[in-house]
Amino acid sequence: MEAVRQAFRLLWAHKVRSALTLFGLVWGTAAVIFLVGWGAGVKTMVETGFNKTGKNMGQMWAGRIGEEYTPAVDRRHLWFTWQDVQYARKRTRIATLVAAEKRWYLPVTAGPKAVKMEIRGVEVESQEIRALPLAAGRVITQSDLDHRRRVTILGADARLDLLGPGGRVGDRIRIDGKSFEVVGFLERVGTQFGRDGEEVDDQIWIPLSTHVAFWPMEWTDDDVISYVLYRMPHRDLADESEAELRRILAGRIHVGPTDEEAIVGWSPVKTLRAIPLDQQDGVMYALSAATLVIGGIGVLNMMLDSVRQRRREIGIRLAVGARRRDVLLQFFLETLTIVGFGGGLGVLLGVGGCLVLEALALPDLIPVPELSLGVLGMALGTMGGVGLVSGLVPAWLASRTDPALTLRAEG
Amino acid sequence: MGEATANPTPVIDLSSVHKRYQTERVDVHALRGIDLLILPGEYVTVMGPSGSGKTTLLEILGCLSRPTDGVYRLQQQSISDLDGDELAKLRGEEIGFVFQAFNLLPRLSAVENVELPLTYRRVSRRERRERAMDALDRVGLARRADHLPTEISGGERQRVAVARALVNRPAILLADEPTGNLDTKTGEEVLALFDQVHADGNTLVIVTHDPKIGARAPRCLTIRDGLIDRDIRNGEGGGR
Repeated sequence: MEAVRQAFRLLWAHKVRSALTLFGLVWGTAAVIFLVGWGAGVKTMVETGFNKTGKNMGQMWAGRIGEEYTPAVDRRHLWFTWQDVQYARKRTRIATLVAAEKRWYLPVTAGPKAVKMEIRGVEVESQEIRALPLAAGRVITQSDLDHRRRVTILGADARLDLLGPGGRVGDRIRIDGKSFEVVGFLERVGTQFGRDGEEVDDQIWIPLSTHVAFWPMEWTDDDVISYVLYRMPHRDLADESEAELRRILAGRIHVGPTDEEAIVGWSPVKTLRAIPLDQQDGVMYALSAATLVIGGIGVLNMMLDSVRQRRREIGIRLAVGARRRDVLLQFFLETLTIVGFGGGLGVLLGVGGCLVLEALALPDLIPVPELSLGVLGMALGTMGGVGLVSGLVPAWLASRTDPALTLRAEG
Repeated sequence: MGEATANPTPVIDLSSVHKRYQTERVDVHALRGIDLLILPGEYVTVMGPSGSGKTTLLEILGCLSRPTDGVYRLQQQSISDLDGDELAKLRGEEIGFVFQAFNLLPRLSAVENVELPLTYRRVSRRERRERAMDALDRVGLARRADHLPTEISGGERQRVAVARALVNRPAILLADEPTGNLDTKTGEEVLALFDQVHADGNTLVIVTHDPKIGARAPRCLTIRDGLIDRDIRNGEGGGR
């Protein structure tokens, strides 16, 4: 108790210095919470941003034969067919789902409106891979695919553009002059970090079988598709899943399995892996902890000064029977009080700041600091370390005071 | 007075005590072989010119530093055998200090200053306060208990310091130039207080270079160049 009172007396006695020192502690602690939390927020934001159109998802499409793989100057364009994808679906041992998608721009009309939009042919499996929630209605079923039904699902913005806010399941739209029944609406997806064509909100989905039947490619009778989608069983198996599918598909279109121009692959998992998110955490922590350490140096300095100024007091205390460890404890507790006080304010500030940001309805994909026990523990742990070091040194010096020298009458 | 008691056990027993300091430039040989017995209830002044070693002697008597050489027994206990904590305990229980500069803690009230030695003993808060108030009462300052040192006069501060020195009922009261910072009149008050403390049966050792104090105490030591030069006993009581 005495130490706590003394600590506040000390703070009160040197207001400017205390304010600066406390500022360092408060700011440092708040910074640890805020920045580390923010780092976690950025991580979540990036991951959700990339995972919006399919978690643990990978994509492949056919390009042109790589320069190293052919002597021809005019390199051949390649494509995958729906049959290639069905074959791969049967052969793969790693990927848990394989599906095809076909995208094509077509004029769409609904009432008086006419727009050119991305029409995407989908399968049951591709919808499963993308795992996008429906706002209303139903998904496209195997039965739709089997019967090449003229049914469609609209993205959030496509729905607004074509049908307005009053659009409902059962409405009809015309795609390239053909009438389709709207059977479902997708939930709004918002900003995507990775995309293949239009954003999902602007897409119109129909059964792939309907797509290939109505709008075949002019140059071939094959059922040409745009993308092979697959889901890997775990993000750690990204490379294996891709390699296996490449091998299977390369055989189908007669290219080398390592020709990355012939078969182009992309996966949010691999993109995420390339972003140094974990290093970012380290940098955030180092930056904020440095602030806290600077605050700790302020405390250290303040306490060293205090020990110097209070040598006589220490001498008196020793003379009236204080043991060295009493003095050590007194100064150590004083420091801990100051650090605890500043750190406590910092925790309040940091947590408060995080909560305020969280409460503000920020636009989609602005990173919001995430509070967690880990973050708090990190802040408190760092604070404790700072308090320990900046407390022990002055306290030890104080306890080494020679009472005889400080009490000489000539003082 | 005290020394007349039959077969008394000395409170203080120094034999050939030396103290050397190592400063940056020179070795100081402050005490060069002090032999001294002080019996319970004695009132001793230590006089001598500056640098004679009298303050060093007081520090040794008060267990603030240890002799470089020789033996110091306080209450028959050789302090060379004690570790730091035991010395601290001894300072707290057996010794009361009064300094020239009062050395009260400026941020503590009078009664809190008097309580200070008790806070390092295991004494309950209530008992601390009671004993401190008793001690303040003995020096006539009970009504100043809640004043800060800056709010009372120099003489009163020194009386608070005496109360603090006595609060633990120590075996010996040590004072270093207790009137050095006081004017004649208040100095006289403090000396009267010492007389009273002595009359209550306490043992006092006072370092001073004021000959008037020396003349007043029953026993007066003079130190010169780290040795006891003279050891005079002034008849019955202190002449005024």
